[in-house]
Amino acid sequence: MSQIITLEQLKSALDEKLSQGCRVAAPVLDGEFASFKEITKADQGSYEPRVAMQNSIKEFFFPKHETLFTFVRQGQDVVLTDAPDFEVDQIVVGARPCDAAALPVLDPLFGWDYQDRFFQQRRAKTTVVSFACVKSDAHCFCTAVGGSPENTSGSDALLFDLGDGSFEVRVLTDKGKALFEGKTTDSDKTGQSCDAPTVDFEVDKIADWIRANFASPLWEKISLRCVGCGACAFVCPTCHCFDMVDEGSYNKGKKVKNWDSCQEAMFTLHASGHNPRGTQGKRQRQRLSHKFVTYPDKFKFYLCTGCGSCSRSCGQMFGVRPTLEALDKEGVKAGQ
Amino acid sequence: MENIYKPDPMEVLGVWQETGDVKRVRIRFRDPEKAKNFHFNVGQFGIYSVFGVGESVFNICCSNSHQTEYFEFCFRKVGRVTERMWDVEPGDTIGFRGPFGNSYPLKEWEGKDLVFVAGGIAMPPIRCVIQYCLENRDKYGKITIVYGARTVGDLVCKDELDEWAKYPNVDVLKTVDVAPADGVEWNGRVDFVPTVLKDSNVRGGNAVALVVGPPIMIKLSLPILSENGFSDDDIFTSLENRMKCGLGKCGRCNCGSVYVCKEGPVFTQAMIKNMPDDF
Repeated sequence: MSQIITLEQLKSALDEKLSQGCRVAAPVLDGEFASFKEITKADQGSYEPRVAMQNSIKEFFFPKHETLFTFVRQGQDVVLTDAPDFEVDQIVVGARPCDAAALPVLDPLFGWDYQDRFFQQRRAKTTVVSFACVKSDAHCFCTAVGGSPENTSGSDALLFDLGDGSFEVRVLTDKGKALFEGKTTDSDKTGQSCDAPTVDFEVDKIADWIRANFASPLWEKISLRCVGCGACAFVCPTCHCFDMVDEGSYNKGKKVKNWDSCQEAMFTLHASGHNPRGTQGKRQRQRLSHKFVTYPDKFKFYLCTGCGSCSRSCGQMFGVRPTLEALDKEGVKAGQ
Repeated sequence: MENIYKPDPMEVLGVWQETGDVKRVRIRFRDPEKAKNFHFNVGQFGIYSVFGVGESVFNICCSNSHQTEYFEFCFRKVGRVTERMWDVEPGDTIGFRGPFGNSYPLKEWEGKDLVFVAGGIAMPPIRCVIQYCLENRDKYGKITIVYGARTVGDLVCKDELDEWAKYPNVDVLKTVDVAPADGVEWNGRVDFVPTVLKDSNVRGGNAVALVVGPPIMIKLSLPILSENGFSDDDIFTSLENRMKCGLGKCGRCNCGSVYVCKEGPVFTQAMIKNMPDDF
């Protein structure tokens, strides 16, 4: 026995949540492109499984730009006001399984020793409803990093598009249950995801190669086409590096947290002028090492869900999968 | 829930100009409760802010013996934040987050001879531990301090060097790269730090060395220490890297899998040899 919900029932469930003051984010179409956006009516969303998205769902947990506190000078004193707690319930619907899988990957980082309440409060208040994939493209490689087209990691409910205007609902958590309870009907229809994308490299072996080949000239060679724009980091569901910047004036202003990217030359530039990662090759090495060596060393997860958004967005047809393939071909398999 | 990114407002108690472009600042918490409960370990660092301008990372440069009353940091005027920090006066407010990172293993160093080697602006991260060891003089063996700067005018904590030399069993060997002009008072050497270190005849075995300074000074000092019997486990340094959060999250201060902000800033030479050359 399965549970199904029609598209109209899904939308009315979302409208009901919106009317209760809940924030809802869903894929919104802009011409041929779809991106996750906050919506005010369920009709604004486009509810079908997609391979390519213009962004990931991470910005509903880790916004591009977020105020940490405000300050005002009063004579020689400075009065600080904390940013408000995140207290709204939030639903992110239409996530790809590889978007949702990034959340458990990021949990230990934001909860490592010091607790980042900005991420953690959003995480606790958010219900993630994912769509199982119905197709993959040449950029997808979730299977290489432990994912799949119907990966349940990070989702509160996984929906399978039945192709007849309805979805099979697989509730995974209490939050998912709370959203769908009483909204679904019994059925004998079950959904199916697409075949897993195929890859002919093994990430473990590449990670070992990265560990052993810090000084390889391959890093500079494969990075020649990278222009250091950072788009790969901004579309990545797991990239979390950030900058902290003061805005406003000397007398009144705020501290904000902004997304940052290790591909930009300023990222590690010291005040002295020294830069430990002064070339694009060193910066790509950092990106790949962070994803496949440093992060697993620290937190047991690859910092990558194989979504392929980086290479889909790259103006130079670069990104994690092409880099892994190049390292595999010219490093691992060439025995270098 | 606590906001880990929000600094504490600190009152500036005093400002001392150390060189043409280095100042030392003494601060305390504006909140008396925070001040009363504040504790840091010698060698830890903080993140200091000029509100509306930005934050910078500096070691806490004094011992922790007055930690509930005040602590200090030094900075060189070199960028946007420090240009504005230069103008702070007693009574002004700056921000502080910390203390962060690990610290010097002062307990393990008890009973041993100590060799401190510093160059230029690297005196502050060593000053804290020198102060601590002198305050606890009985616990440590012979103390040798080798400190150099480009010119006499670039020496940080110059007056304190002479005070330290008055303690029993303490050698202060100070040097400058460039001979002082006529009329400039100077009772130290004119040589590079590694040369002075070599001439000092410090001996490893029951001794540890703490070496902080520009990369070239470190590079040339390490072989001298090795030749004199210091093992890689007995040589310490304090690293610095660009940081934003200091909390192991913002993702930029790592050398390979080591986060300088969390696992550092204090490392032994043995640990550094195991890290990739990401400096």
